[in-house]
Amino acid sequence: MSVATTNHADAERRAAFFAHVAAGGKVEATDWMPDDYRTAVLRFVEMHANSELMGVLPEREWLLRAPTLKRKLALTSKVQDEVGHAQILYRVAEDLGKSREAMLDDLMHGRTKFHNVFHYPTRSWADVGVIAWLIDAAAIVAQQALRESSYAPYARAMKRICWEESVHILHGRDVLLTMVNGTAAQREMVQEALNRWWGPLMQMHGPPSDPAKDRDLQWKIKSKHNEELRQEFLGVYVPRIWEIGLTIPDPNLRYDEETQRWRYTEPDWAELRHVVTGHGPMSQARLDFRLLNHAETAWVRDVVLGNGRQAA
Amino acid sequence: MQVYEVFRQEREGEPMAHSGSLLAPSADLARQYARDFFSRRNEALRLWVVPRSAIAEVDDSDWLKPPFDHSYRVPAGYNIVEKIRTAKARAAQAGESEAGP
Amino acid sequence: MSSLPAGISHDALADLLLALADDELVLGYWDSEWTGIAPLLEEDVAMSSMAQDEIGHALAYYSLLAPHSGIDPDAYAFGRTPPEYRFARLLGHARTDWGFTIARRYLYETADAVRLESLSRSAWPELAGLTAKMRREEAYHLLHLETWFTTFMSAAPSAAERFRANLAQLWPDALDLFAPLPGEDELLRCGILPEPMSTLGARWEATVRPRLEAASVAVPLNSATLPPRSGGQHPDFSWLWNEMTMVYRLELGAVW
Repeated sequence: MSVATTNHADAERRAAFFAHVAAGGKVEATDWMPDDYRTAVLRFVEMHANSELMGVLPEREWLLRAPTLKRKLALTSKVQDEVGHAQILYRVAEDLGKSREAMLDDLMHGRTKFHNVFHYPTRSWADVGVIAWLIDAAAIVAQQALRESSYAPYARAMKRICWEESVHILHGRDVLLTMVNGTAAQREMVQEALNRWWGPLMQMHGPPSDPAKDRDLQWKIKSKHNEELRQEFLGVYVPRIWEIGLTIPDPNLRYDEETQRWRYTEPDWAELRHVVTGHGPMSQARLDFRLLNHAETAWVRDVVLGNGRQAA
Repeated sequence: MQVYEVFRQEREGEPMAHSGSLLAPSADLARQYARDFFSRRNEALRLWVVPRSAIAEVDDSDWLKPPFDHSYRVPAGYNIVEKIRTAKARAAQAGESEAGP
Repeated sequence: MSSLPAGISHDALADLLLALADDELVLGYWDSEWTGIAPLLEEDVAMSSMAQDEIGHALAYYSLLAPHSGIDPDAYAFGRTPPEYRFARLLGHARTDWGFTIARRYLYETADAVRLESLSRSAWPELAGLTAKMRREEAYHLLHLETWFTTFMSAAPSAAERFRANLAQLWPDALDLFAPLPGEDELLRCGILPEPMSTLGARWEATVRPRLEAASVAVPLNSATLPPRSGGQHPDFSWLWNEMTMVYRLELGAVW
């Protein structure tokens, strides 16, 4: 068997794989898949898992500070869900060939990325509401589209995650509504938080990109492009923000009936690039916090995993 | 003979669903029998054949559905309809024109 | 509410319910801090559920007292000064590390199991029903801790020693869970408390002390030199109290 024949067979197998995916076919963990598809799915899911795990930290800062017992329970359970999502997604990623420990190591040393919004500080209880309502809403818009992913274990994971996220959105909206209906100081706190988060929120789905050049789209790892997701988010949430008397800090934000699209001030894409490459206001502090906790709990993992070192 | 539980995926992307069990003297034969028991009309895309002894069952309802109120974990635990109405009314009254289109 | 045994004063009722509630509240708060940073993702989710359970139980106890005191559960949880809390000294300490957390939980949950079993026989039907329900939820906690206890004890000597030292350190403070309550005579007379705290303490010690001794834990003799149920005066708690009441204190009376 000549090398040429082998290559020919490989090319055919590859073509058949992508034809299958292009026709809406699904891929399971144990199926054969081309290396570049495997790498692309792994990169995508790993970044998502990282974002869930790092997304825990901003909200965790308020875990002890919830002002009522019911809020305390809801927030603790919400943060717990994010950890649960990280577990689900790291499992999906692990089956593609990279260990959890390797993924955590890359994350903590800044070699892999996580969502821009988790690089920012939190300042008040209203941030808990903005994160749970609007950031989770922006995320869920993307995640709902991922339920159609060609990589079936990821698509199935998204179904469960989306269901849980829908509870988070309700919790967050409830937190903000209660404050908006409260005192002037509470309303001011909500508006201040919204003002701070709006920029990062608009950057969250990424700059408009050419769908024709987006391999993740062609391979149906994801099914919607950046601008599509942002438009969808704006379409549902801007009216909901406005109706409760809040102001969105963008004078150019409006729905253009003619083009059927939302117009807005161009988000700061330079800031997005700067932040996701580890230069956000809290990037290093949050990674350091993860590293510190990981190091302090290493002895427990050794106990559980049975590599307890014998005392010297 | 050992009992094997069989899970079947009927359509692409769907989760594996339990379809039944079978008896077989070996894992190899269990897989072969599973084909004939569970996909002889082409109804499976894939099968999982698992020794029953490998399955850990959890069915204690106190674990799975603990008796205390955990409604904060489900949508039914939140009722925001009235709060939205109040917020809208307040926003309209305040006439915060800059807040909307 | 009407089924409350006659002749019980509000103070005596509060002595019992606030001790129970505050124990659960503060343990739940400390352990909830592991959410997001536990040694393993799996354990993170498991510990968070247990912490949520404890806070749910605290809420249930405060809610049982509320109709008799007119004080709202959140006001109990966040509206008191640190010395007004009634939790046992065992619960004053910060979360510290995982070994400490598990050691404290082990002592607390085994003690709470004795307490709940007794209270489920209370002459006050609401309390009997509530604690019976709690026992069903705590059964999982006990099982989980039992697994950890065994895991640590059979770990490499350095880890096992570390865990033994945590247990030995916390033992005297754990006894405080069974300190006599100020209104205990009244509670016993009305049958709300089926047995004296000292009886429950002895029952707990009879099962747990041999267990610890068999695991080579240097269990100290009782040394109750500090005032009973003075966990609220622990310096660690003043930090936690500042955190947990931070937003609550911003605008008293505001709805959150």
